[in-house]
Amino acid sequence: MNVTVRFLRPFARLMVPFTPHGKRRNLYSTILQRYMSSKVPSLSCYNKDSKSPLKQLELDGWKTTMKSSIQEDGVSVVSDKDEDTLTATREMIEMRRLLGAEVPEHITEEELKTLSECPSKSAQKKYLRFLYSKEKMKKAKQLKKEMRAEAREEAKKAKLLETTTAEQQDFMFLRLWDRQINIAMGWKGVQAMQFGQPLVFDMDYENYMKRVELQNAVSQLLESEGWNRRDVDPFHIYFCNLKTESAYHRELVKRYSEKWDKLLLTATEKSPIDLFPKDSIIYLTADSPNIMTTFKHDKIYIIGSFVDKNAQTGISLAKAKRLNLATERLPLDKYLQWDLGSKNLTLDQMIRILLCMKNTGNWEEALKFVPKRKHTGYLEIPQHSKVVSKLKKPMTSSFPKGSLNVRTRKR
Amino acid sequence: MTHLSGFRSVRKLWTNIPYFELGPATSPVTFFLTVTRNQHRWFSVKTTSPANSKTMNLLVAKTRTLKKEDDNNRQVSSDHYFAAGAAKKRSYLNSSPEQQRDHAMPSVRGTIELPTTPLTSEAWDQLQAEFNGKGSFEDRVISQMLHNHSSIDVAKSLLAWVAAKNNGIVGYNLLVKYLYLCVSHKETSEVIDVYEILKAKYKCLESGANSILIRGLMHSDRWREALLLLEDIKKVMIPSKKNYDDCIRGALFHQDVSLAWSLYQELIGHNLTPLLETLKAFFDFGKNINDDHYSNKLLDILAYLRNNQLYPGEALAHSIKTWFESIPGKQWKGQFTTVQKSGHCSSCGRALESIHLSSEEYEFLKEKILRDVIDGGDQYKKTTPQELKRFENFVNSCPPFDIVIDGLNVAKMFPKSRESQALLSVVSQLAQQSLRLLVLGRKHMLRPSSRWKKEEMEQVRKQAYCFFADNISKDDPFLLYATLNSGNHCKFITQDLMRDHKACLPDAHTQRLFFKWQQGHQLAIMKCSQRSKLTFQHTLSYDTVVQTTGDSWHIPYDEDQVQRSSYEVPTKWLCLQRKTQAPALC
Repeated sequence: MNVTVRFLRPFARLMVPFTPHGKRRNLYSTILQRYMSSKVPSLSCYNKDSKSPLKQLELDGWKTTMKSSIQEDGVSVVSDKDEDTLTATREMIEMRRLLGAEVPEHITEEELKTLSECPSKSAQKKYLRFLYSKEKMKKAKQLKKEMRAEAREEAKKAKLLETTTAEQQDFMFLRLWDRQINIAMGWKGVQAMQFGQPLVFDMDYENYMKRVELQNAVSQLLESEGWNRRDVDPFHIYFCNLKTESAYHRELVKRYSEKWDKLLLTATEKSPIDLFPKDSIIYLTADSPNIMTTFKHDKIYIIGSFVDKNAQTGISLAKAKRLNLATERLPLDKYLQWDLGSKNLTLDQMIRILLCMKNTGNWEEALKFVPKRKHTGYLEIPQHSKVVSKLKKPMTSSFPKGSLNVRTRKR
Repeated sequence: MTHLSGFRSVRKLWTNIPYFELGPATSPVTFFLTVTRNQHRWFSVKTTSPANSKTMNLLVAKTRTLKKEDDNNRQVSSDHYFAAGAAKKRSYLNSSPEQQRDHAMPSVRGTIELPTTPLTSEAWDQLQAEFNGKGSFEDRVISQMLHNHSSIDVAKSLLAWVAAKNNGIVGYNLLVKYLYLCVSHKETSEVIDVYEILKAKYKCLESGANSILIRGLMHSDRWREALLLLEDIKKVMIPSKKNYDDCIRGALFHQDVSLAWSLYQELIGHNLTPLLETLKAFFDFGKNINDDHYSNKLLDILAYLRNNQLYPGEALAHSIKTWFESIPGKQWKGQFTTVQKSGHCSSCGRALESIHLSSEEYEFLKEKILRDVIDGGDQYKKTTPQELKRFENFVNSCPPFDIVIDGLNVAKMFPKSRESQALLSVVSQLAQQSLRLLVLGRKHMLRPSSRWKKEEMEQVRKQAYCFFADNISKDDPFLLYATLNSGNHCKFITQDLMRDHKACLPDAHTQRLFFKWQQGHQLAIMKCSQRSKLTFQHTLSYDTVVQTTGDSWHIPYDEDQVQRSSYEVPTKWLCLQRKTQAPALC
């Protein structure tokens, strides 16, 4: 009994002089008194079973110290109750963070607004976790950057010492590699614009995607375009059904910024069936019943630029059916021992597979761009490989021997 | 034959388990077998005190019913296709014994040896020195204390040690976890202590701490403050149903009935489904008060269960029964029972509500199936407009069918025999009963191959109307529409549970209608060998839903022992009858 009460008495006495300062204080002391009265019976019973040895920590001591610390930062206690939901949410997030939940440390007004627009609790949690991981990544990047800068400084110092001793050397080229590469890629891109095989990205799926999915799709488009630019023989890329001032367009312009107008590809509001003859178009979709056997150099392949996290099956197939187009899917099951994950590949994986097929015609080579986590290895197809090697004989001459007929096997 | 071998293996499995005969509770230790999640656990129940003998008897009774169920399992199940636990039994019959015996091993993690008595700070220091896991030491320790349900004195000594280290400051997460421990130990005075600290130290709390506080405070004298905490939660989000459950139960505990009902209304208003415990609390409380208003509210709850096709659990069913029987002057009599195949209650013999939809509901469902399942905003997704037109013309040109057959599903049922042969045998057996048949299939079935013999398909086409959809079209929506279009008498044959099509429907109400219709019209073939006579899982003739006729109630409920899938319905019922002379007295 004396354990708590002994500590509380001076505390209560301390509180009394403070009471005239505000309503809140008054309330507080009454609560305290109530608290003391309610405490008494339980204390007596508590005392019985805690005839502990003297060495034990005082079990309730921490409460007193916790309460005495209140007085120090007592200002925060006084707060106006009519705060709006946004501040309440902000405080709630802060408390959740103290609890060790995955929520961001700093949150902007805009993000708070997005948060309040989330339809459900789980959506809110998800969004907060997303912000948390974003913040964490940003911090880690910042840290890395600083470390690298430090390392560079040191390297510079060391180099300075070195170069003072080194003599003048003779070079053939100035160090302008990046620019040279860019220019070369530009030339190749122009060539592709004139004579390249068309490859269409169909942007007609904007309505099926949420904001996040759309952003992912744009990232994948950017990467696809990058892979195409670096290839020996690039496709002539078409962005079809790209309506100006649509979310797609806005996001693309935002990501490419001033480079958008100088991109060596055709962006159009038209549908692919307006641009190309219908019978030469092949729509690539994982839902197609037809399997792609070879890459045809006279066909126009269409890839739906559609990131589908809701697993709404058959949308692109329905589109192809509506336009009465031929469809095909990659022969994934024929060549790979599929393990898990969906057969839908990302846009950049698709374009890398198509580029590889265009250059080599070797499925096993091309399908190495399928993520390794999705399959357990290549399947042996003896009769097929014979056909392939027969077919490819005339083509192999133009390529280094090593790059072909190489069978990479995981297991 | 496949079926028979599977059946034998099940039998072996059951006989492998030694049986302990349960006599009258004389032996000091009795084993009690429960079947939960594929695991067979032996619980030992000690019969030491007379107070336990009651529970003992209950256990014995339960075990007896379980044994009866075992016997049922030995026979081929005679339950209907959608009976609770039926899918589980089906998978049991089909899977190999090895699969059945995969017991989940308890995961072993690196844990800290928790003290059982309060430690000194030196001892805590020492314990921390030995700790080499991730995260902070005190956080891990207190989390494990929650897990192991340690005594609060130990937790207190930990907090005191932390406070001594940190200038008397204990972190928020430690406080909340300690609070949780106090609440689980029902230490109300401690809860109030921590509440004071939290309230003083922090301007607002987050929902987790608020929820725990509500739970802790609701049974104390300061339960009204818990309602303020509920208001705090409402500022940022909709409180959970558990929050409401705590508040309602607290209000009932303190006899504030009107508050409890208004909280209940709020809960329903947020479109939350109340916990069954909440409803049970209302019924339990209702036993002691005799108030027409309150009784009507309880009847409203039953109506809510009916409208949302919710089924009470065993405990709630008992509460409902007790409440009904406690109403003075009405003389209700409750009985736990089952319903016969004919749709009559085994206890009172009354016919239950028919499974058939009313004509408005029927038209509504037909419209929805056509619009949302087949069309779905994009006709090309499941079919093409040309095909849809062709199908509609075809259906309208034919007289109404008696049975619609999912050709591919039926043909693939017997993996040992040829597809076309299996289909033909099913079709000809049905045709003998002079039923008007429709076989739905895909065009590839007509292309002669080793699996699809041309002659047999010709035979099928002679005996039944046939419609062949494109190979990339979905055939199930056509099946549904053809059946619905033929009228109420028409049934369809498939093993498919049609869950994906049910999911296409826009709202829960339509989905329930669809499920109700499906229960009454789907014929599933009992998987026997192909040569034997065709038998179907019997369709339900009655609707499994909470129902009343004024002086009787029939309430289906879930047994605690049986796990029911979402597409199954309970098989056990609570039958409540009013004695006939009662109305005359009223």
